[in-house]
Amino acid sequence: MTDDLTDAGEPGAVNADGPQGHGPAGRCQGALIELEAYLDGELPSERLEGIRDHLAECFPCTGRVSFEEQLRAIVRRDCVDSAPPSLLERIEQVLAEDS
Amino acid sequence: MVSYAPVDGHDRRSGCRVYVERLLVEPSPASFARRALTDRQRRDVFAREALPYLDRLYSTALRYTRNPTDAEDLVQEAMAKAYRSFHQYEPGTNLKAWLYRVLHTTYISMYRKAQRRPQETLQDEIDDYSLYDDLMRAGSNSSEHEVLAMFTADEVKQALADLPETFRMAVYLADVEGFSYQEIADIMESPIGTVMSRLHRGRRTLQKALSDYARSRGLLVDGAEGRA
Repeated sequence: MTDDLTDAGEPGAVNADGPQGHGPAGRCQGALIELEAYLDGELPSERLEGIRDHLAECFPCTGRVSFEEQLRAIVRRDCVDSAPPSLLERIEQVLAEDS
Repeated sequence: MVSYAPVDGHDRRSGCRVYVERLLVEPSPASFARRALTDRQRRDVFAREALPYLDRLYSTALRYTRNPTDAEDLVQEAMAKAYRSFHQYEPGTNLKAWLYRVLHTTYISMYRKAQRRPQETLQDEIDDYSLYDDLMRAGSNSSEHEVLAMFTADEVKQALADLPETFRMAVYLADVEGFSYQEIADIMESPIGTVMSRLHRGRRTLQKALSDYARSRGLLVDGAEGRA
């Protein structure tokens, strides 16, 4: 699928937003590239508005974002363990000996 | 009380490094550690400031070593090391990140020093993999959110544990511990671009592993519709 460059960038054009491409597919492409940094809270502030605008109007990309967010939440929930009580005792002993 | 200011009267180290401090500690108690403290006081400050991170450090150590006994040894050694060099910790800076840095270097010296590791790599194709696309393409009776909810904690843990170490730790430090790219780069002593690439490829590989679990459990069925 080729991007339609002809109507891009015209004042008032619906798709005059993405730096990475124009037309619906191009804008998703641009959003996809930035999605990971966006979800990590690492997207530079000047690029935040563009991706938020796109997500506000693009159903497929919104679905992808909520899927990725849910997956991260699952990893955060499942990959956590608590220290056994014996470890705290061992460390307190180390501190006592080192003092 | 939380302080947003950098350390009193201290220049930030090498100007060019922009460090976002997600966790700010109270500057007052820790600053005592730099002055003349009795051993007892120093121990109390350390216990109060650092021991609350014990669970998180153990959880992290378990991702490094993938073995509870080694993880305990690793945390004990890292805490002993952190305690001995507590005077080097700059009050007002990110204590959590500093402890993780100590944990990382302790892991390297205890478990990785001897073995000369080959460069860790993942398949190139993994860059393009996406579990979301996979689920959308393949047939499934459940929505993609329902499929995610069906993974067991053991499957998710295993999928992470199976990643090569540097990828595993980047994903863990970002997604579970919530560190920024720069913080992970500092903890793992890697360039930030390397961290980003490990995160990207590590996450994709983890998704691929989950898709294998989904397929083996019949949550994901190929060939149902329009699969290339």
